[in-house]
Amino acid sequence: MLLRTEKICKYFGGLKAVDEVDFVLKKGQLKSIIGPNGAGKTTLFNLIAGAYLPTKGKVFLKDKDISRLTLNRVSRLGVVKTYQINHIFPNLSVFENIRIAAQVRKTSYNFWRQAASYRELNELAEEIMTQVDLQEKRNWPASTLSHGERRYLEIGIALATKPEILLLDEPTAGMSCAETNQCAEMIKKLNTELGLSVVLVEHDMSVVMSISEEILVMNEGRTLTEGTPREVSDNEEVQRVYLG
Amino acid sequence: MVNDNTNATKVQELHAPPKPIVVYGTIFVLLFLPLVLSTPLATEILIWAIFGMGFNLLLGYTGVLSFGHAAYFGLGAYSSGLAFRYLDASLPVGIAAGVLAPMLLACFIGALAIRKRGVYFAMISLAFAQMLYFMALSPLKHITRGEDGLTHIPTMAIFSFSLGKPLPLYYFVLVVTAIMLFATWRILQSPFGKLLQAFRENEERAKACGYNTTMVKFWSLVISAFYAGLAGSLNTVYLGYVPLTTLFWLTSGTMVMMTILGGKGTFLGPLVGVGVFLFLQNTISLITPRWELFVGAMFVAIILLFPGGIMGTLEEKLMAYRMKRASK
Repeated sequence: MLLRTEKICKYFGGLKAVDEVDFVLKKGQLKSIIGPNGAGKTTLFNLIAGAYLPTKGKVFLKDKDISRLTLNRVSRLGVVKTYQINHIFPNLSVFENIRIAAQVRKTSYNFWRQAASYRELNELAEEIMTQVDLQEKRNWPASTLSHGERRYLEIGIALATKPEILLLDEPTAGMSCAETNQCAEMIKKLNTELGLSVVLVEHDMSVVMSISEEILVMNEGRTLTEGTPREVSDNEEVQRVYLG
Repeated sequence: MVNDNTNATKVQELHAPPKPIVVYGTIFVLLFLPLVLSTPLATEILIWAIFGMGFNLLLGYTGVLSFGHAAYFGLGAYSSGLAFRYLDASLPVGIAAGVLAPMLLACFIGALAIRKRGVYFAMISLAFAQMLYFMALSPLKHITRGEDGLTHIPTMAIFSFSLGKPLPLYYFVLVVTAIMLFATWRILQSPFGKLLQAFRENEERAKACGYNTTMVKFWSLVISAFYAGLAGSLNTVYLGYVPLTTLFWLTSGTMVMMTILGGKGTFLGPLVGVGVFLFLQNTISLITPRWELFVGAMFVAIILLFPGGIMGTLEEKLMAYRMKRASK
């Protein structure tokens, strides 16, 4: 068991955004969190990433309690999140966007040696640009990328920090149908070829059903059901929640 | 693919650190500045440019607005002045005092307030600067000489080479300026410098990448205080006294104005902003005592023409041109 939450809760005032959810991720697993709008998917996701402090309950990474750690500390432990709305470094080049993320494990406070002289970081950045298919845009400012390319860069930045668990928040949001399929393929590839464990929050059902090994369905902050794509789509309660 | 790459390399990041030729070229041009401007004005421009480089590192590159940078400039000026006057300190010792004291102050203010965002941090730094101002004005009057400023500072010398004449002093300050220009250039290309820029671009994301952004801001402030203290210290050597106004909020405000005028977040912005501002101030104040009115009007005009500051807008235009060519 790589990551698990134990009866985790997040209340915003009187609103129980996440209420006693047990989420388990095994090593190398690709697991999705789905649910209608306001089900608490993104909140759960942010609790795991360390962006929110839980109101109650705990998050464990390999039996280490990470519930009270901040976003940057959790990220250093290898649990790295991406954003639903693009969070990139717009005025820096694509290469620099990825290289900066890559240097986190190597150096941050060296203010004399030239950043460009760290060969292994440059190589890592090049490799990741190939993985997310942005080689051709290498030297372009990130602000000039198309929406789909920015979504890829978003993933590239997260990959550069060498995560063990990648938390993807609606990676295909706003993408065209073709782009969505391509992106789903890429995510699957990261999971199978690099052995990354992936947690996916996603709206697009076709993506979720085609690439996830397991799915957690949430409704009104609570776990509705959990299982393989097949089990979930056969579940009557899930159908009721989704189809009304 | 190969072709694409070569095309793409022509596209630069906006506000990227410049090529080495720009750094050395600037230093070369500055060698001849006293031929064009009066030597004291040229010296003043260099001193304020050092102050500006440090301020720009904080405001332009890290994106933190300190509205009390006079605290570091003035504390540097007073620390050196006091060391020179009362302790008969040599030039290097006096400058060291003028650099260390502001850095310590920055550590203190940083530890207290750097977590605060935007306008809160600006106000807290302003409050500290005004506190120092009033301390120097009255409670510490017996050593700072209050309103009169700290006078009777001996003429400095380096290697028994007097800095009493304008020209030797200019070239001494130029050597320091050249070192600081080079250092700034190095810092901007270091992992830390890159981090500052990433931080300005998107603090939240930098955090999600695993960076402790509070520490980044803290060190940026301390380094910035180093520059300000050094500039203050040189200002004491240049003037031969320490005016109380070095600690006044107007000094902080002027610095903000100069940096924005030149283009915050650009390498040469502070130097250009300081140069234009001081040149206008000196020229117009010869004609009319109401020089602020005219400098203010020109400031408005320049910002309307160059919304990103002089260098900022020029860089944007250059980049737009390059991208147009690259995408052809």
